[in-house]
Amino acid sequence: MTMAGHEPSTLRRVRIYGVLIGLLGLVMLPFYTMFASTLKPQSEIFSSPATLIPADPTIGAYLSVWTQTDVLIWVGNSFLISLGTVAIALVLAIPAAYACARNDFVGKRAFLLAVLVVQMFAPVVLIVGMFDVFVALNLYNSYLAVIIPAAAFTLPFNVWMLYGYFKTIPIELEESARIDGASMLQILTKIILPLTKPALVASVTYTFLYAWNRLLFVLTFLTEESKYNVPRGVFSMVGALQTDWRMMLTASVIGIIPLLILFAVLEEYIVSGMTAGAVKD
Amino acid sequence: MGLTEDYSERGPDTRSGQAIAYLQENYRTYALIAPVALFLLAVVGYPILQTFRLSLYEAPASSSIKTFVGLQNYAQIFTSDIFYQLLWQTGRWIVVAVALKTILGLLIALHLKGNIKGRKFFRTAFLIPWGIPYAISAVVFRWIEHPQYGYLNSILLKLGLIHERIGILGSPDIAWLGVVVADVWIGMPFMAIIFLAGLQSIPEQLYEAAAVDGAEKWSQFRYITLPQLKDVLFIATLLSTIWTFVSFDVIWTMTGGGPVNTTATLVIWIYKTAFDQGNLGLGAAYSVIGFFILAVFAIIYLRVYTSGGEEL
Repeated sequence: MTMAGHEPSTLRRVRIYGVLIGLLGLVMLPFYTMFASTLKPQSEIFSSPATLIPADPTIGAYLSVWTQTDVLIWVGNSFLISLGTVAIALVLAIPAAYACARNDFVGKRAFLLAVLVVQMFAPVVLIVGMFDVFVALNLYNSYLAVIIPAAAFTLPFNVWMLYGYFKTIPIELEESARIDGASMLQILTKIILPLTKPALVASVTYTFLYAWNRLLFVLTFLTEESKYNVPRGVFSMVGALQTDWRMMLTASVIGIIPLLILFAVLEEYIVSGMTAGAVKD
Repeated sequence: MGLTEDYSERGPDTRSGQAIAYLQENYRTYALIAPVALFLLAVVGYPILQTFRLSLYEAPASSSIKTFVGLQNYAQIFTSDIFYQLLWQTGRWIVVAVALKTILGLLIALHLKGNIKGRKFFRTAFLIPWGIPYAISAVVFRWIEHPQYGYLNSILLKLGLIHERIGILGSPDIAWLGVVVADVWIGMPFMAIIFLAGLQSIPEQLYEAAAVDGAEKWSQFRYITLPQLKDVLFIATLLSTIWTFVSFDVIWTMTGGGPVNTTATLVIWIYKTAFDQGNLGLGAAYSVIGFFILAVFAIIYLRVYTSGGEEL
């Protein structure tokens, strides 16, 4: 056994942490400017050049943002859209992924590859066609016009994620249940899904984030302000001539808090989901 | 491989008889995948068809009357100056943004790879920009780059790097770089996480052997890390290229394609044409062009993904 190159020297350690902390600082800087600005009174926001540290910190913005903006409605709508998308995407993806993992059938390869290709076709390239179809179907201005495409574009990830995971569950586990006369639905919900928790959590998180974060569908299909989600609401505060930066940034902070909580709790699952498509073991 | 799907065709009786028997035997399986197949056909497939069809029409968004004009929309695109300007702007946008995302992502991953205390903390922190709404990141960068009240000007002035405030997003020369910065900030975490996973799958023995040979850090990177990371590097860069190409929310929120269209890319132009100018037909024609560009990427991706005869 060799020791060489295994235990980094102290100098090397310092350098590694130095670079990491430096990079982290750069990455966090936008968050700092966002948060610091929300703690400034209106007069300080519009001082030039900008003060790097709030001279006179106040939480006033966080008290008035509830009445001066519709941020609570946006957050509520975002939850509604995200949960609706998760429900549709998973109800569709779970049976399909299970069928592919457990059976060989004609067209399976074509099906799985076709689903994968959908991920390549970004919504923005289809948005004109979608607009035409959704208007014809009278879905314009309905939450479904946002939930349906979001579910469609998260299906590739969900089908593949769950398919890959189902394959790793030994078939013997369900065979005894089948002998006992359990139905496919019972086997799926009682035996398979509890074992699939990591993949399910990754799927739910990815789908939730996708639906929460997208501006395009809401921008195109929902015109009523009462239906705006967080990104659309924040975007609507950008004025042609004047922008209330203090309120807009405060609403932004509130709009990402649910996501930060999600991240802190589910980081492992998110990472495993992100790497699933690109790193083959 | 070698599966044929001509079961629905009308063949000899024995064949269709076989097909029916096959379907009867496997109908449960098909019933389980059918909802996904139908859903995607309806929500993705049909709009694709509709986009192709619309591109042959003059179709104002404001009315339901569509007039067939053949290839006139395409003729208009290929003879316009803006199309070639868009190609150039889209190209530089992709090249610069993807290069920066790759380099920075690799830098983060290489430093997170070893026996790092608090790796989970670092990884989570680096990941956050990827997971929040692009539109919010975009307004934050708009605020940072604000000509009068922005932090960037304030810092550059303090450091003495500039002597008077600059309005980055208002300048036709550099506005696109002001948007690239935000897009890189958003896209870099994905690259870092993918590269980190790729690095962690490189067998440690390779480095141990190299250490015995006294290989320098650089040659370790050059002769072990890079070759081992090649596949991951390729797929991640390809995915990032696709996502950068179709990046909409950031550009739309920061500049809307301005000033004087200098930050517009092809996908921004699709939206602008169809919904700002209300010309659905022309917007659809631009979409079809974008569609073909994506198809090229998709074919490469599928080739790589299915290479090595891997079973699905």
